[in-house]
Amino acid sequence: MGVIKLEAYVLVLRGKDCLSFLDGLSTNKVDGTCTTVFTTQNAKVIDMVDVIDKGNFVALVGYMPYKETLLNHISNRILGQDVSIGDASVNNSVFFSTEDIEVVDDITKVKTSRGYLLVTPKSLELEETMTVEEFDNYRVKNLIPYQGKEITPKDHPLACGLGEFVHEAKGCYIGQEILVRMRSRGRQGKKLVRLANPVENPTTIGKTHSLCIVRDK
Amino acid sequence: MDCNTCDTAPAIVFNKPEVVEVTLTVTDKAKEMLNQAFGDDRSHALLVGVLSGGCSGYMYDLQIVESTEQDCQELVIDGFRILVPRASSHLLDGIEIDYIDRLMGGGFKINNPNAESSCGCGESFS
Repeated sequence: MGVIKLEAYVLVLRGKDCLSFLDGLSTNKVDGTCTTVFTTQNAKVIDMVDVIDKGNFVALVGYMPYKETLLNHISNRILGQDVSIGDASVNNSVFFSTEDIEVVDDITKVKTSRGYLLVTPKSLELEETMTVEEFDNYRVKNLIPYQGKEITPKDHPLACGLGEFVHEAKGCYIGQEILVRMRSRGRQGKKLVRLANPVENPTTIGKTHSLCIVRDK
Repeated sequence: MDCNTCDTAPAIVFNKPEVVEVTLTVTDKAKEMLNQAFGDDRSHALLVGVLSGGCSGYMYDLQIVESTEQDCQELVIDGFRILVPRASSHLLDGIEIDYIDRLMGGGFKINNPNAESSCGCGESFS
């Protein structure tokens, strides 16, 4: 399909406790590069982030409009840990590619379950080859949720199609009790589905099908 | 992202909570159990800290230590040295350290007037 620029932030975390800090606050097992979700005590989504372990630092890539809420959430939980946070959003851009494309060394490419995430310095921005409509169609076809559309603070991760990033066996994190209870009882309230058009209350409209979050009966 | 742009990323400065002079109490049952744990050796201390994480956002961290690299306030209660990290002092001021004697869910318990809520197991609070 192609490449599209995302409305994303890039935070840089340093310190020996970075990964354990992120692990203790989010839904997935964070011990290296992965995708995870930060949730409130009510298990509502704060943001889905891609964690990129670069060895000497960890980058967090998330949705720009949710950045301040995420920072407020995590900043007051840095107590005695060796963790510092920097903001590299001004100097970097984030692209999404549906295919594995060749890039130069200064561009970081990470394979995710949604496609390829590419973090580029501003001086090495990629050419966009996919429109928002094409990106939406790709997401609808592959049932991929996106922040601001399906992934919003109104819902919990299981409802907006992020169940694969909610680890079943990891220790406690904020919102865990609610998510575990939903899973163990087989009742998650709502779920993300792909339906043929026309669709009532769609979150993303595609050419022939749309995404929407419906009550799980 | 490997072009020094991250090395030069400006650090975000957060408002750190004010360090408070902690007062805390230890119940008789908890003192009894500390006495069993320490014996006559009072060179060790009980470190009462807080870590991020847990179902409610913060988790208590109790350790018996000889010393710690953390910057701590030291309190002496009935001969027991208790260390409280300054970084989490605002979360621990006024706590009561208790000991619950039961087969399931027993052990040291923190009663914290600063906690708005705590999770089922009692190890986590917000």
